[in-house]
Amino acid sequence: MKGLAPLFLGIFGTFAFSWIGLTVIPTWQIGHLSPESDEEGTDIYPRPQSGMFKQGEHVYAANGCVYCHTQQVRADYIADDIERKWGTRRSTPRDYIFDRPVFLGKMRMGQDLANIGARAPAPEESPAPAGAASPAPQGAAVSSSPAEASATAGPPSSPAASPASAASPNASPPPGQGIGVASPSPGELANTTPGGSSPVAPSAQSPGAPWPIETAGLPPMYSAAWHHVHLYAPRSINRDSNMPAYRFLYEKRRIAGERSAEALQLSGPDAPPEGWEVVPTYDAKCVVAYLMGLNQSHSLKDVRSVGAAPAIGGAPAPAAQGASPAAAAGGSPAAPKK
Amino acid sequence: MKTTDIPLKDPAVSAAAGDMEQLERAYIDASTRVPVLMFYTSAIAWLIVGTVLAMVVSFKLHSPDLFSGISFLTWGRLRPAHMNVMVYGWASMAGMGTAVWLMARLCRATLRFPLLIAAGAVFWNVGVLIGVGAILLGDSTGFQWLEFPRYVAVILFVAYTLMASWAVLMFRHRRGEQIYITQWYLLGAFLWFPWLYAAGQLMLFVVPVQGVLQSAVTWWYANNLLFLWFGAIALGTAYYMIPKVIGRPVYSYHLATIGFWTYALFSSWTGMTRLIDGPFPAWMVTASIAATILTMIPVATVGLNHHLTMQGYFPLLRYSPTLRFTVFGAMSYTVFSVIGVLISFRSVASYVNFSQVSIAYTHLGLYAFFTMTIFGSMYYIVPRLVGREWRYGSLIKLHFWASAYGIGLMTLMLLAGGFLQGANLENPALPFSESIETVLPYLRGRSIAGILLTVSHFIFAYHFGLMLLGLGRTSTVPTFLNPVEAETSGGH
Repeated sequence: MKGLAPLFLGIFGTFAFSWIGLTVIPTWQIGHLSPESDEEGTDIYPRPQSGMFKQGEHVYAANGCVYCHTQQVRADYIADDIERKWGTRRSTPRDYIFDRPVFLGKMRMGQDLANIGARAPAPEESPAPAGAASPAPQGAAVSSSPAEASATAGPPSSPAASPASAASPNASPPPGQGIGVASPSPGELANTTPGGSSPVAPSAQSPGAPWPIETAGLPPMYSAAWHHVHLYAPRSINRDSNMPAYRFLYEKRRIAGERSAEALQLSGPDAPPEGWEVVPTYDAKCVVAYLMGLNQSHSLKDVRSVGAAPAIGGAPAPAAQGASPAAAAGGSPAAPKK
Repeated sequence: MKTTDIPLKDPAVSAAAGDMEQLERAYIDASTRVPVLMFYTSAIAWLIVGTVLAMVVSFKLHSPDLFSGISFLTWGRLRPAHMNVMVYGWASMAGMGTAVWLMARLCRATLRFPLLIAAGAVFWNVGVLIGVGAILLGDSTGFQWLEFPRYVAVILFVAYTLMASWAVLMFRHRRGEQIYITQWYLLGAFLWFPWLYAAGQLMLFVVPVQGVLQSAVTWWYANNLLFLWFGAIALGTAYYMIPKVIGRPVYSYHLATIGFWTYALFSSWTGMTRLIDGPFPAWMVTASIAATILTMIPVATVGLNHHLTMQGYFPLLRYSPTLRFTVFGAMSYTVFSVIGVLISFRSVASYVNFSQVSIAYTHLGLYAFFTMTIFGSMYYIVPRLVGREWRYGSLIKLHFWASAYGIGLMTLMLLAGGFLQGANLENPALPFSESIETVLPYLRGRSIAGILLTVSHFIFAYHFGLMLLGLGRTSTVPTFLNPVEAETSGGH
């Protein structure tokens, strides 16, 4: 090669080409999206998050959750993400406009978390600390239509009947509590009295129960209390789980006076000795608040939700849309896997 | 200052000591001695740290309860720590060491201000150390490949400027009209890296882009770092070492030109293949898939060129450590690229996108291709810096086979396991945990491969330590892997 000029120009040129092509032009194309709202300007999605959600995002980044969990739902004609109940529609760039950093992820050693918040039993069940930060607007999609939800919700998964006591000590179970994970026996539901530490929930596990297999005595799946137990002792919930335990996010302490309302409902070898309790640290509460806030179930104009009419000009939308996330939410007992 | 004052033995000046060219080379080598040895020493120290981290990461992945409960030993912190140690500690430092030495040799210019470069290396080490500490203490940015916090990025950038500017400035003082192929690649690498790093930092932290574009920038950065920084250094090194060791010019300059420009043009566009099926405009991903397929052009030309250069000289692989490592690296470049093309097809990617296959791909690029090539160059360069030859041929042989089998087994395990994992993941009849159950045996196999690599790295570090302490052989004949019966053109 003769002379330096062509070499330098070429080196800069090829790089500039790639830089402009793959980062600058996309920024121009999809780098300035704004939230969507309906005609009246209400029901805005997505909304910026703050407080514990943001702190939880830091905890999520710090502990490298992204190396095992994705947060993206692929379209139903490409992959079976939606069939796995990881979402009701594919993820779009608009879902992430307030995420910093964005955790799309590149590995699924664990489940996709894009809609983990939408899978929580029902927003009212969230424990006080996490519930405070659990973003209402998105959860509203689920709670708005309890009737439809209960109609579509499948047979019970018994963990629902387990005590939500630690989770919501001073809020008596709202009428909608059993909805996402309806229980056959009201008596069992009644068992979940505030503050009541009813030991082990009826372990009437139906044989073909969906994942997780061993949920006896645990809070409702994907509820905040469940997340805490899962983070503290993943294998107490699912024997096959490959997730590391995040015990450093929890504090084991001697019960002073009364058992803390936040204490984890642990059983078996993970349970603390008599007179001790395990309580979440602030970081643990934040990361659970973050997980509870992950929710892409809100419909968007430019993408089709499964099980719902296209939102564009979709008159029958409210009921159908309300139902679909809830169906996905309740641990999907209706959909027999395996 | 005189670098020859440093109390190390003079570089070996072989039989033709009166030869001006030999003397000149020895003089140039001497000028690079302090910085390059500094780069190599820190690189190998980081290699050992990174290897230990890698072992823990690998074992923890199939035994999640190992060390759980200790925040800085949680898997999600060790993994980025391992990756950043390897990328910024080992690979970047080793690559820069080799690149600076090659640059001086090829420009036929002595390295000016070598101690300033050494100072840059110190800064770089401090940066990596702080960065890794920050990751372990939970201050990761959360962006893959760019986990170091912003303050570390500043340190690294300053350090890099200190180090690379002199390498580029050597160009001003070069002698001879011809610019050799290696110099294109190295000049490219030295100029691409700062731009790349600055662009990544700016678009993620200073003027952050919105939403999913952060992922686009991250993977654009990651792939370009892989290709335009590590890949360019490795290819440049191979273009120097192969002809040098066998004592024969490169087969075709013309092919090399095509190879270089198509490499620069296409490989820089491949990043979005990591985002297939993600929430992005289809054209971005499609453009990257097309570019990935087009990288077959540089692969074919570079591979052909190396092959035709080596033609008839393959038996030398029996003797020369440098040649053996370098040829292994050059061949891995082809394997790495072909696998890159295969997993970038949409139909394949929808299966393997979120599986261990992407880990296999990264390791093929960073280890089988880059690291092996750099090992080769170290076996060539270090004796010329310390004035001693490698002490044990057997250790080099052991290093090679442990590395080769280690990375081979690892790639095989991750590819096979990843494909099965992906297939089960895309089979909705199976519960999710089934895909994890499937891959676990392969991950255990990967841990065994990791043990092999650990052994090889410790052997190499020990051998390098001997050289550094002046315990190498005093000889005018390089250390061969096998005893040479007849005379050979290998080595020098």
